[in-house]
Amino acid sequence: MVKLRIGYPEDPDYGERLAEFEARIARGEKIEPGDWMPAEYRRQLIRMISQHAHSEWVGMLPEGAWIPRAPSLRRKLILLAKVQDEAGHGQYLYHAAETLGITREEMVAALLSGKAKYSNIFNYPTLTWADVGIIGWLVDGMAIKNQTMLAQCSYGPYSRAMVRICAEETFHHKQGKEAVLLYAKGSRKQRQMVQDALNRWWWPTLMMAGPHDTDSPHTPLLLRWGIKTKTNDQVRQEFLNEHVPELLEAGLRIPDPHLRYDEKTGNWIHGPIPWDEFWKVINGEGPMNRQRLLARRRAHEEGRWVREALEAYAQRQLAQAAD
Amino acid sequence: MLDPYLKEALVARLTAWADDEVVLAQRLSEWVGHAPILEEDIAIANLAQDELGHAKVWLELRQELDGSDPDHLVFFRDPLEYQNAVLVELPKGDWAFTMVRQYLFDAYENLWLKEAAQSAYPPLAEAAGRILKEEKFHLRHSSLWLERLGQGTEESHRRAQEALDTLFPYVRQLFQLLPTDEALVEAGILPDLRALEAPYLEEVEARLERVGLRPPQGGYVPKSRQEHTEYLWSLLAEMQSVARWDPEAKAW
Amino acid sequence: MWGTEWPRFEVIKQDTQHSPPQMVGSVHAADPEHALLVARHVFVRRPAAYALFVAPAEAFFHVSQEGLKDLAPRREGGPEEAYWVFAKRSHRRSMVYGDLVGRFLAQGPEDAIAQALLQAQGVAFWAVPERLVVGTEPTEEVVESWFAPAKDKRYRLQSYYGLITAKGVEDA
Repeated sequence: MVKLRIGYPEDPDYGERLAEFEARIARGEKIEPGDWMPAEYRRQLIRMISQHAHSEWVGMLPEGAWIPRAPSLRRKLILLAKVQDEAGHGQYLYHAAETLGITREEMVAALLSGKAKYSNIFNYPTLTWADVGIIGWLVDGMAIKNQTMLAQCSYGPYSRAMVRICAEETFHHKQGKEAVLLYAKGSRKQRQMVQDALNRWWWPTLMMAGPHDTDSPHTPLLLRWGIKTKTNDQVRQEFLNEHVPELLEAGLRIPDPHLRYDEKTGNWIHGPIPWDEFWKVINGEGPMNRQRLLARRRAHEEGRWVREALEAYAQRQLAQAAD
Repeated sequence: MLDPYLKEALVARLTAWADDEVVLAQRLSEWVGHAPILEEDIAIANLAQDELGHAKVWLELRQELDGSDPDHLVFFRDPLEYQNAVLVELPKGDWAFTMVRQYLFDAYENLWLKEAAQSAYPPLAEAAGRILKEEKFHLRHSSLWLERLGQGTEESHRRAQEALDTLFPYVRQLFQLLPTDEALVEAGILPDLRALEAPYLEEVEARLERVGLRPPQGGYVPKSRQEHTEYLWSLLAEMQSVARWDPEAKAW
Repeated sequence: MWGTEWPRFEVIKQDTQHSPPQMVGSVHAADPEHALLVARHVFVRRPAAYALFVAPAEAFFHVSQEGLKDLAPRREGGPEEAYWVFAKRSHRRSMVYGDLVGRFLAQGPEDAIAQALLQAQGVAFWAVPERLVVGTEPTEEVVESWFAPAKDKRYRLQSYYGLITAKGVEDA
């Protein structure tokens, strides 16, 4: 087991240690479990990584609902693999957080009690099959921008999880884009369905990158310690610049009357984001918050006897081996 | 080239196998996002993909014979046309029901695929050999669960035994021949499934007893693959709902 | 008390017969056999693998670069046993924790790492007693049934989709 070395501001050598730590990050070194780190660095990482892990795990639900209804063998296989990857990504991330001396039990308990947060985007319902395509292309498109940034993270285990996730996630984006482009040129009902999905997911997707930099109190510290390497607005801008032209080329309408291209900067500029809604959803008043948590709690409760059975079996094997 | 009668018989047989796999994959996929622990959620999504992949293999072999479209067969056939065994269509139940069913089915697949890998029809022999490799791993996984549920806690043992009591009679249906199978058996294309029933029961009953589970006596055995339960309609209704929702859609 | 999530096992994956086993992450499982099976489900969804190993996470001794200077290997002529030592060699971007440096007969994990340091530099090291490592058998049958099928699941790979453009869909 690893022995963590955590520094607190009241430690006599804190200033000196902090300077060394920040110099290491500035040189592009990774911080490994067991290296000296400020308590606040560990706290921020646990907060971010566990939220991220919960998002993957809860994120299985809105798309998973459509696995039984996928309209072709190929789409069904793809969606199964994609939702499965989300479980896998949650699994890698919980592992990364575990290297900081927190257990998965503790993180899961925080999620199930409603204390821990996860990405707001998964508190919206999936109303039609086209939502699966839009989530793949746009929601995962935004997620990839964020994950590519986090692959540069100064904490070794988080960075490694992100490198592995990015390698797998690209297919999520591509399959979604493929489906959306097909339906955008498809039958009348397919075209309507995909436009409707875009209308509903557009703003929640833009909000995924998080509040504007001016309203994001953690950001300066996270940047300073290399936990994040870009701000929320930078990530959002990268997403827009890649996806807006492609959505327009597909013949889809983006539900933002103020959306415009800025010749000078080469950026797509969005209109006002409905932040009131964002804060409502994050504080538990979104369309599906309660259902998502209920589903996670139900699986946890219904799985309890299974986990106990395997534990009992393993304990008996150990006892027999000891005899 | 197969003569027309054998071809038609093989089409029916491939469809029955594919239907088993499609329907089982559907039941497995209902667990995705809801399994007892994260690692097993990943595992069950693999099982669902593998079974669905096998369905695709069988339907593509059929496509080579009669030009039928695999997706059309899966998403536009009515419940009365489905030829799956009842074992795979029963609702997913609890984790014990799902794992006991998986074990019973995996043991059956391992047995007949090994025989089918010797089929006189080379595409079938090749496909069976390939699928068998994956099924060997499935059997490791489901046997592991069978043992742990059987010997875990009182509750897990009770649940596994209840699942077995419900499921066991239905496995016998898997060894029945379709009306057209006889000719395939004679031509060496299809293993004689009837002859595999005794070795299957011997192997499975021995393992069940080793893990403290009791194979039940009696129980209803469906007489043909025309028989279903009332659960199939809703399973297919959901599975086919998007594909059938828009008759004008040319591609998904 | 194990809690609700079972114990954790580190997972070591060897991609090909000639590549080094690498620490890739961990799984929660009830016992080593179960851990090995779920490790296959979690870490071999995509190609490629030749072998998998698991060992209880709590059995690993871990030391980072900063801790190396305090490493105090004891050599007191006591009994030796085999350790597997893994190293993360640089700060370069990577998805693996450490590569296997080798197998060392040592009196303890610190001693094993001290021996490994003579062969390899690194920014972090792990050592685990070999007797706790459980792995797949290196037979063709195991490779074929555990690992080869992932190759057929091409829809999981981004390369399967090629370049996707609105123009391409129209032309199709």
